[in-house]
Amino acid sequence: MIKLKNVNKYFYKGEPKEIHALKNISLEINKGDFLALSGSSGCGKTTLLNAIGVLDNIDDGEIFLNNKEISKLCKDEKTDIRLNEIGFVFQAYNLIPVLNVKENISFIMRLQNFSEDEINSRVLEVASLLQIEDKLDSLPSFLSGGQQQRVAVARAVASKPKIILADEPTANLDSKNSQTLMNMFRELNIKEGVTVLFASHDKYVIDAVDKVIKLEDGKLI
Amino acid sequence: MYKTILNIALKNAFLRKSRAILLILMIGLSMGTMLSIEGLYDGMTTNMIDKTIRSDSGEISIYPKKYRLNKEIKYQIKNTPKIIKNIQTLPGVTSVVQRFKVEGLARSATKAYPSTLIGIDLKDEEIFGQFSEFVTSGDLNLGIRGCIIAKELAKNLKLKLNSKLIFTTRDINNEIKSTLFRVKAIIQTTNIHLDNKAIFISKDKITSYLGVDKDSSTQIAIRVNNEKSITTIKKLYFEYDALDFKEINPLLKQMQDMMVIFNSITFSIVMFVVFIGILGVMYVSILDRVREFGIMIALGYKYKYIRYQVISEALFLGLAGFIVGSIVGYISLTYLKIYGLDLSSFADGLASFGMNSILYADLKFAYFSASFYAIIFASILSVFLPLRKIKKLNPVEVIKANK
Repeated sequence: MIKLKNVNKYFYKGEPKEIHALKNISLEINKGDFLALSGSSGCGKTTLLNAIGVLDNIDDGEIFLNNKEISKLCKDEKTDIRLNEIGFVFQAYNLIPVLNVKENISFIMRLQNFSEDEINSRVLEVASLLQIEDKLDSLPSFLSGGQQQRVAVARAVASKPKIILADEPTANLDSKNSQTLMNMFRELNIKEGVTVLFASHDKYVIDAVDKVIKLEDGKLI
Repeated sequence: MYKTILNIALKNAFLRKSRAILLILMIGLSMGTMLSIEGLYDGMTTNMIDKTIRSDSGEISIYPKKYRLNKEIKYQIKNTPKIIKNIQTLPGVTSVVQRFKVEGLARSATKAYPSTLIGIDLKDEEIFGQFSEFVTSGDLNLGIRGCIIAKELAKNLKLKLNSKLIFTTRDINNEIKSTLFRVKAIIQTTNIHLDNKAIFISKDKITSYLGVDKDSSTQIAIRVNNEKSITTIKKLYFEYDALDFKEINPLLKQMQDMMVIFNSITFSIVMFVVFIGILGVMYVSILDRVREFGIMIALGYKYKYIRYQVISEALFLGLAGFIVGSIVGYISLTYLKIYGLDLSSFADGLASFGMNSILYADLKFAYFSASFYAIIFASILSVFLPLRKIKKLNPVEVIKANK
């Protein structure tokens, strides 16, 4: 499903303070995988996740999504891939503050021109799965951190993407909420067949996934 | 999808209520004031032109050749009734009057002033320009020796109602002739040429006094309801000086042009202020939401959607301001159209420019349509600079920075 070949990424390239953030990364992720990128802070987890999600450009190498090279696409094509293929869960939730929970969850579906009926039934489905069905009319600012993170997950999965990329999803949650969230991701992975890739060094994430990909100083180990 | 974009734009446009209300009020009040000034400027010139047309020139006047350069009574239009009859049959002609004018000297017991004696038919003048509306005192029953005198001339000659005056001029035989009149009415037309010099008597009286043919005249003034009739009359009566009111009153034409320039300058200044206002608010609003836009781009929201959204936000604010401005402008213009702006304390100064002491505004649909288009244009233009910031936005940087 996702294939990386000799991916290299530099920050401040050509400058004295150049950082080689990803070093010859090659890996394969298959459909339905439930795995995590792990490593210490600054090892390149988020950079690799962003490169896979075509949020960030790479300097060298190739990234394939369903056998299609995606790293060299133009801005709009990359945006289309993010919209149609990938669901993102960010560490800081990153909900749209002017939209209520229902509108946030349905945001991507609306961009994909789902019908109103499809949107309503899907929003209710994921909201009940994530236990936020009573919060649909609330604005994000009135929700707790755990609830916001669940809304972010609901938004990511509502449009049924093939892949979910979650960056430190438990970083702002307590142990109970972390455990609950990981159970939900697992449920989605089993029920919906979604491929989930985490970037995290949190033990709740590491314990929950099927496989851990370790990174150190930008290299796979 | 566009419904979603509009929904987000609407929510964001009015997210900071006090900021949005201040901007809307700023646009509304600026536009309302601008419309009032525009209406007053136009009303002022329209009023002056209207009174000049009604009291003297009509939309077009026919004079004998050379008369306007050398106002001697030997230059006459002969067979005036026949010419008038022909003119009245032309399409677009609403009324026609004939006048006989002669230059001379008016004297009261203590003062003398150069003046113009004008022979008119009061009934025709009433149809032509509602002559009775110019009367400030007295009545229009002239009797045998009655005259109507213009206000400024009456003031200069220290004449009141029923005062006597003597008018002296040369008759058709070049003989000096004087005759006595009694002031029956005083008029004010705000046409400075008339107000400083005119004495009106009956048309029959002047022709017999000067010894000229009663069917002759020095001016035929014509009211028409379309521009085409002016051209037709000019072509038909080429052997005379057929001049439209702008040619007869070049100062009025200049004033009208000047008012267009004043209005354009006022309009441009106000629209620039509106533009700066929207630009300021949109700039701050967009910079406040850089992170939000970064997230949206990361989730698959294209730059073109952000452009639609931001333009829609600016348009919502601009249109809200336009609605407030239209209401303020309409109320203010309606008031000024009905009650006018009373500048009586400057009456003398205004009269010397041929203006009324009460200025009445015009109310035209064009003011509102022009403002509408200008505000739409200013709103769209105002978001280009802030949008450049968003175009350069790297979502990864924004998300990283807010971790």
